[in-house]
Amino acid sequence: MDPRTTLLDCLRETIHLTGTKKGCDHGQCGACTVHINGRRVNSCLTFAAMHQADEITTIEGLGEPGRLHPMQAAFVEHDGYQCGYYTSGQIMSAVALLKEPCGPSDMDVKEYLGGNICRCGAYPNIVAAVQAVRRHSLL
Amino acid sequence: MAVDTGNNTLIGKPQSRIDGPVKVSGQARYTSDYSFSGMLYAVPVGATIARGKLLSLDTKAAEAMPGVRAVFHGGNIGKLYRASFLMADLVLLDEKRPPLADNDINYFGQYIAVAVAETFEQATAAADAVEARYAAERPVMNFDLLRGTELKQSDHRGDAVKALAGSPVKVDEVYSTPVQTHNAIELHATVAVWEGGNCTLYDTVQGVGNHQLVMTQRLGIEREQMRVITRYLGSGFGGKISAWGHCCLAAAAARNLDRPVKLVLSRRQAFESAGHRPATQQRVQLGASAEVKLVSLQHDYVNTTAMVEDFTEYCAEASPFLYSTANMSSSSALARRTIGAATSMRGPGAVPGSFALESAMDELAYQLRVDPVALRHRNEPALDESMGIPFSSRHLTEALNAGAERFGWSQRTPEVGSMKRDGLTLGWGVAVAAWGAGRFASSATVDLRADGTARVSCGTQDIGTGTYTVLAQLVGERLGIAMDRVEVAIGDSNLPAGPLSGGSLVTSSLVPAISRALDEASQRLVTAASLLPDSRWSKARPEDLEVVKGRLGLKANPSGPALSFSEVLQQTGVRSLTGTGLSDGTILEKPKLSKHCFSAQFAEVTWQPEIARLRVSRVVTVIDSGRIINPKAGRNQIVGAVVMGVGMALFEGTEYDPRKGVALNSNLADYVMTTHADTPDIDVIFLDCPDFEVNELGAKGIGEIGMAGVAGAIANAAYHATGIRVRELPIRIEALLKRNQTGRELKKEPWQTHPTTKTKPQPHRANDSPDAPS
Ligand code: FES
Repeated sequence: MDPRTTLLDCLRETIHLTGTKKGCDHGQCGACTVHINGRRVNSCLTFAAMHQADEITTIEGLGEPGRLHPMQAAFVEHDGYQCGYYTSGQIMSAVALLKEPCGPSDMDVKEYLGGNICRCGAYPNIVAAVQAVRRHSLL
Repeated sequence: MAVDTGNNTLIGKPQSRIDGPVKVSGQARYTSDYSFSGMLYAVPVGATIARGKLLSLDTKAAEAMPGVRAVFHGGNIGKLYRASFLMADLVLLDEKRPPLADNDINYFGQYIAVAVAETFEQATAAADAVEARYAAERPVMNFDLLRGTELKQSDHRGDAVKALAGSPVKVDEVYSTPVQTHNAIELHATVAVWEGGNCTLYDTVQGVGNHQLVMTQRLGIEREQMRVITRYLGSGFGGKISAWGHCCLAAAAARNLDRPVKLVLSRRQAFESAGHRPATQQRVQLGASAEVKLVSLQHDYVNTTAMVEDFTEYCAEASPFLYSTANMSSSSALARRTIGAATSMRGPGAVPGSFALESAMDELAYQLRVDPVALRHRNEPALDESMGIPFSSRHLTEALNAGAERFGWSQRTPEVGSMKRDGLTLGWGVAVAAWGAGRFASSATVDLRADGTARVSCGTQDIGTGTYTVLAQLVGERLGIAMDRVEVAIGDSNLPAGPLSGGSLVTSSLVPAISRALDEASQRLVTAASLLPDSRWSKARPEDLEVVKGRLGLKANPSGPALSFSEVLQQTGVRSLTGTGLSDGTILEKPKLSKHCFSAQFAEVTWQPEIARLRVSRVVTVIDSGRIINPKAGRNQIVGAVVMGVGMALFEGTEYDPRKGVALNSNLADYVMTTHADTPDIDVIFLDCPDFEVNELGAKGIGEIGMAGVAGAIANAAYHATGIRVRELPIRIEALLKRNQTGRELKKEPWQTHPTTKTKPQPHRANDSPDAPS
């Protein structure tokens, strides 16, 4: 492994898990969000070689068509995307948020997802999807 | 096809996207997701001056680095041709100079070489190691565009100058918009694969057909040797229409090395060399009578363009027909600057143009002391006065009324700073806009299959707007089958030539093509009836048979016996039958009707003068754009357009260092865009009035019209809240602070010293003072 290889490029170009996307390579857009040991991380900001023994979850590990994770299903139901390119990152952040100390309001969710840019502007639908999952998991 | 009766189960109903499950699970394949064995990585090298000559290039160190297979430059990349540009071909290409064509440097970041290596890391390091020597000249970077620029008249009727001079009430102001960058989150990428002289490009493009045409010309090969594939596009907003230089670099490198090559632009490179909305400066002069009627409208503008490319941002496109006025003129010019090629960005012309015209209308409303909505009602035209022809459909009055009602506009008090809520000052503003409607020439094929499924194929692409789903709706509706029984094949230049995803024209272009393809398939199904075993069908005359909702039946007995298309095909032993449909384009035709869509935007801002904090809290957007095929995706698209409009009003602008010509904020942290937390409450109203002049379903486009008017409405709301008329976007805290510190605006307006000013602006306008009665 080239020591310069980011976790993002390693996932995409070496392991061919291309569900994780590159939008900026600078930690500014959130498209590359993955979970490392259960916490969300911008995979473009960390080197692959630093994660030898870590547990890494990408969008592919959440669910697939036919057996989607509830958050993935909620994004479909609420049209929480347009182009879909940044969607993996939004979903990975949203799933991590479920275990974070995020307040109940829409504004709380907006703040917690502040690092995930959606240039198509599907933000209200994304928030609706996340809130639907949160409401459901409270029942 | 008979005009649709509205008895639909799929069309006009909110549908979840059929490509949703693959998008949310990371399985949708975007361009840079493709990999091939033996694939190399290419990283372009950009010039580090904005103007001058490239004197020499030292690639030795780079070539000697591990994994490096080549460093290509003008001397060794091989011939890259200038693409022919004929309007009749409808080829869209905004940077016509091929990359590496000569040693002239016209903008910062212009490609001077490309490094190719076994891995992305090796190619990046090699690109950094390329040394260049330049003879630098001073870049041309000022953005006071109107000053000293000679304008050329494009539209006129009556005598706008004379009418303005005689008007009792006048507005004469200059409005500016900055360079804006599309910043689709998907980076521009090309994966080039050559096989025996044939090239396949997996590319991030909004028109696979357009790209195929341009790239064959660039590479000097025949059309059948070039295939372009864009299965999924991470949006484009106009920025992925043109075949940018990096596409040529990737294709040429792959050809030279006989290995697949992947090239993904960095975000910074996309700012520099893959298009932007040009900066504009627009002078709007309005003259009105005391009876609140416009008597003169002049809209003159200049936009930036690259040193060796021409691009016009048609800011005054809507000005000749948006309002009724006997005297109107517009003129424009290009200002050459040492920045990369400009290109279309969402609502080109209409978006910056509406900001200027609608700001001026708001200023006029304050001068006339009339409600801004009433001013627009008073000047609603009965027909398109620029061409003297009727509108095919125009419901702007209803749009304003519907929006005003939803927004609560009747509660508005016009005095600046007069409205409060929860300790915040409120501002309410309105703006309207128009965007052309029409069709690109298109074709599509529909196959009916014996298993009861159908396949629709078309060389168009889904850029996030929901084209996959719209096609499944159109076909499923006509055939009476569920959307999951329709296979949609798009995003491949080998498919029947389909529309480019630009100008909000895809859906309106596809409707007639699909409809005719289904007509032809239905006709063939009728013909196949003669082969059916049951004599009731085989003996029937074809003219007595019809196909309704995918079922063959007798015209005379619509509720009688019928066979589904799959039964017909199974019983006749046919696996599938095909219909092909064409629809003509409207782009080059001389119109008999003026076809447009319209929007009315209402915005609320909150203002905290103590800390000069301006936020957009609420937007009501009313869209008059014909019939909406999928309100779920349509509403989302309009919301997204408003989100981008908020960014335009408050945040966005590419900043250049005037000495170096380099874009300073060429990344997603410093080029500020609307985030989750900046998004206001957005209420979308579709008037849903079909326009059957555009196609048989009455559908028009919505991508551009949703954004046009938003920035103007916000700027007008900002004035209502703060008393500061910001005429230069984005509305920066500095502009709002100036007033806070001094109690008055400091800025000297450009027209006050402008040499081509025709009429003297009024020296004093009472309404510019925040405490003036309105
Ligand atoms: S690609 Fe990692 S945050 Fe943008």
